[in-house]
Amino acid sequence: MDVFDSLVYDSSVTQAGLPVGCPLGPWPESAYVRLDELPSAPNVLADSILSPAEREFWASMRGVEKRRREWLLGRCAAKEAVRSLFERVLDQHLLPGEIEIVPDAFGRPLVSVSSIQAASVKERLLPSLSIAHSQGTAVALAVLNPEARVGVDLESLDHPREDFGAIAFSPDERSLLNSLPPDLRQEWALRMWCAKEAVGKALGRGLSAGLLAFHITRIVTASGLIEVELRDGALEQGPQWRGKPLNVYTARESNFVFSAIIYQQGVVRMKPSRQEILDYLLHKMGELAQDWDYPDPVGPESLLFTELGFESLGAVVLCTAIQEHYQTPMPFAELLAEIGQQQRDLSINELTDFVDTHLGGAAGAEATRRVQ
Amino acid sequence: MPRMTESEVFDKFAQIVAKSLRMDGPKIAPETHLTDLGAESLDLIEITMETETQFHIFLPDKSILETAVEVFGPGILENDGYLTAEGKRFLLRRLPQADARAFEGEVAVKDLQSYFLKVSTWVKMIQDLAQYTPAQCESCDGPMVPSMGFRMKCAQCGREITLRSGEELNREWVREYYDREYRSQAETSVSATAIQ
Repeated sequence: MDVFDSLVYDSSVTQAGLPVGCPLGPWPESAYVRLDELPSAPNVLADSILSPAEREFWASMRGVEKRRREWLLGRCAAKEAVRSLFERVLDQHLLPGEIEIVPDAFGRPLVSVSSIQAASVKERLLPSLSIAHSQGTAVALAVLNPEARVGVDLESLDHPREDFGAIAFSPDERSLLNSLPPDLRQEWALRMWCAKEAVGKALGRGLSAGLLAFHITRIVTASGLIEVELRDGALEQGPQWRGKPLNVYTARESNFVFSAIIYQQGVVRMKPSRQEILDYLLHKMGELAQDWDYPDPVGPESLLFTELGFESLGAVVLCTAIQEHYQTPMPFAELLAEIGQQQRDLSINELTDFVDTHLGGAAGAEATRRVQ
Repeated sequence: MPRMTESEVFDKFAQIVAKSLRMDGPKIAPETHLTDLGAESLDLIEITMETETQFHIFLPDKSILETAVEVFGPGILENDGYLTAEGKRFLLRRLPQADARAFEGEVAVKDLQSYFLKVSTWVKMIQDLAQYTPAQCESCDGPMVPSMGFRMKCAQCGREITLRSGEELNREWVREYYDREYRSQAETSVSATAIQ
């Protein structure tokens, strides 16, 4: 019997991957679930999906109904994420009650599955998880890798806020925000907040090190990327991030903004150099251009369409490949439209600059290096 | 500021919380936890800002334990997320109003949230910090009024002062405690061991 299936699989479940603009990155073994309402009455649901320890916590929970409902909503989303991950990746069918989520000493949710007994399997298979809820909506992101660190957050745009930037952001961060057009600022202030929260959750201790210890150094409105640099107490929690910003993806979906980050402990993805990008592009173009019979040597100045014989379809394939390779969405549609409008060509050099600009420290799996 | 009583601070703080969470003030008691009222992270930021504005104080941006761990170094007050005996001793000293029984047995860092989010803890913190906000000008005894940022200005002579930050005051307290109660004791036990 799968009570959970019938309870949760309704229109309120989104399983189409992360919100628009948040790529799964090199993490195919991940699941993201968003829930906007409880699939049934809270007490019925609690009885059917919670483990005994979770049920005890639920019964002891004080406070307003909103708090209890959202906690339960978060548990539903989390269990659904873990359940679907096991089903999809391992073809293993779990009941929601078998999946237990208990916080560690710092409050980070830890997953255990009661039906998996063997310690070796457990070590290899337990997912890393992050849960967030706000204003009646919950999201959960699970990755089937105990070494992964994940963080998600969300905030509602419908909930009017005083200008929290004075406290949450440093003067540098505020000027970053003020460099945006005025109509984008409210949304991006929330995205920046969510980015800090997501990093805090991934590190496992929330924003306990202080809001300014999570310092935003760069925002890319085209892709939703936000770079967060750790300082002071936060850097002590994640010393491998010294001098390397963390990439958080943010997106807006209906009236919520979301943030997500996934990384592997001890592994830091480095931004590739411009030369590395150029080498990759030349290599990839060689692969894609079937009839590479261009007589002159191909170099940075070679033109994509008139000289190298790319057609618009080929260009689209190339752009897709680049985004997949670097696991980063880039506004190629705008670039190609602009070129079409101006009726001009694109050199490999220009394309390299474009990719370099939009990577902003985000690089693909091939650029992954193990930190000593 | 004329010195406010605990119940005056409580009433004013309860109003701030009620307004921010769009709820009734009477539901708030000293023992109430802000998260039990449904406060989310950004609500706490909003409450912090409003508290600073209304009480003319500068609240710390992290808990006293975080600041203390930065001063003491890792592993002394807290180990793998659990308070050590030294950590419990520190917190009980710093938070005399805390219930000692709550610090018996294993105490995880996450459990302290319930303490730091309690209304009475905020009221105590506000009272402590308000001491550092002068009501009268040091030079001319004129009334002090809020100025830009975390500054106060004398309405009479224009003399400006910067408010002490809660974080800075916490750090000073921790350093003093460290020198007086921890380091001297640690040295004593080291020399005692040497004698043996």
